[in-house]
Amino acid sequence: MPVVLQNIFRFIILVLLQVLALNNVQFLGFINPFIYILFIISLPVRTPRWATLLMAFVLGLTIDAFSNTPGTHAFATVLIAFLRNGIINLFITIDEGNNPTPSFYTFSVGNYVKYLVFMVLIHHTALFFLEAFSFANFWLILFKITLSSAVTILLILGIQSLYKK
Amino acid sequence: MRNLFNFLIRYSVLFLFLFLEIISFTLIVKNQGYQKSVFLSSSNSVVSEMYEWSNGVVEFFKLRAANDNLSEENTALKNQVIQLQNQLETLKPRVKDSIRFQIPPEMEYRFIAAKVINCSTNKLQNSITLNKGSRDGVQPDMGVVSDEGVVGIVKVVNEKNSVVIPILNPRIEINCKFKRTNYTGPLKWEGEDYRYANLNDIARHVELALGDTIITSGFTSTFPEGIPVGYIEDFKIKESDAYYKIKVKLAVNFRTLSHVKVINYLNYKEQKDLEKKAEE
Repeated sequence: MPVVLQNIFRFIILVLLQVLALNNVQFLGFINPFIYILFIISLPVRTPRWATLLMAFVLGLTIDAFSNTPGTHAFATVLIAFLRNGIINLFITIDEGNNPTPSFYTFSVGNYVKYLVFMVLIHHTALFFLEAFSFANFWLILFKITLSSAVTILLILGIQSLYKK
Repeated sequence: MRNLFNFLIRYSVLFLFLFLEIISFTLIVKNQGYQKSVFLSSSNSVVSEMYEWSNGVVEFFKLRAANDNLSEENTALKNQVIQLQNQLETLKPRVKDSIRFQIPPEMEYRFIAAKVINCSTNKLQNSITLNKGSRDGVQPDMGVVSDEGVVGIVKVVNEKNSVVIPILNPRIEINCKFKRTNYTGPLKWEGEDYRYANLNDIARHVELALGDTIITSGFTSTFPEGIPVGYIEDFKIKESDAYYKIKVKLAVNFRTLSHVKVINYLNYKEQKDLEKKAEE
């Protein structure tokens, strides 16, 4: 079961990285990248959907516990976990019997970037609006979403390009 | 019946999704209020243990700045001691003759020193976690200050830790006044920059100057009078407005915050009871 072990390992590393390092990154006061969703993004394509949802919920709650925001991360993460298969099917068709882990090599660079951008944007939009819980600062929130998403996407692309097939 | 089962099985993923989202949303809505559940917040013991550990590493890099601050404060206090001693010397002969018994000044406030173990400045709803809790006498609604000025108000407390809402959270307003003119108004943060907040309700006839000091008004029992909050950075008033729009540079730098004091107002309960009686 190397895939399961690999994912458990990834979960722990990403949570630690997010909570201990990235939650303290406060560049310009606007940018707060959330790369922990790479865990959901990198789950094998044919992971049972109920399992994806439950894992997303646990992951979200873990991050919530560390950032004093009960529910917000859980909500946004469960949302992208639910939409994940739909987004993958938008860009590529996966052969019957294949169960690839999303990456540059299995998806091709273009498709992977599209998939990543969709997931990150949906997650960050849900997250920042829930965090503010009002539309009072609409443009400010939009600004934060754009900047943080850009940084998250760049970071994840950086991490992905370290992998060698 | 079978159709029902088929239906349930077919849409089970959707139901699970909705179920989890409803739980999350309930958590969010429940915590919009002033009472935040202690369960999932960072005063949770596992989480705070971990923060304490990571803080131990980070704090090492802040030691120099903290030392500088301490020595500065130390000299200021020493100067004060000398000044007070001088004053005492000059007063001595008169005291000897007139008053025999002096009533000691009432001990109204006591400080509880605490360390910041987690602090956010980049969200719209920021929070700070301290390493002191009910065991050390910290209770909800107590004010928190640092050597530089006002930090925030304690929100939830467990045995070992407490969570503070700083000025950097639109949920709280702090009643302030000008040191020079004594006009009061509420200070509120608008969610943009951790260095600045806005002061409202200052009428247009008040004279202002850039750099004026803003201090706590002492009208609430959370903060005693005269703790610095910030300095006027900029102010605007339109022809049609009755009130100024004042941008305040906060006295505290929340990004480098590490040691704070929780204010324990000893007459808090008595004052609250009295005020309640007066309302009835």
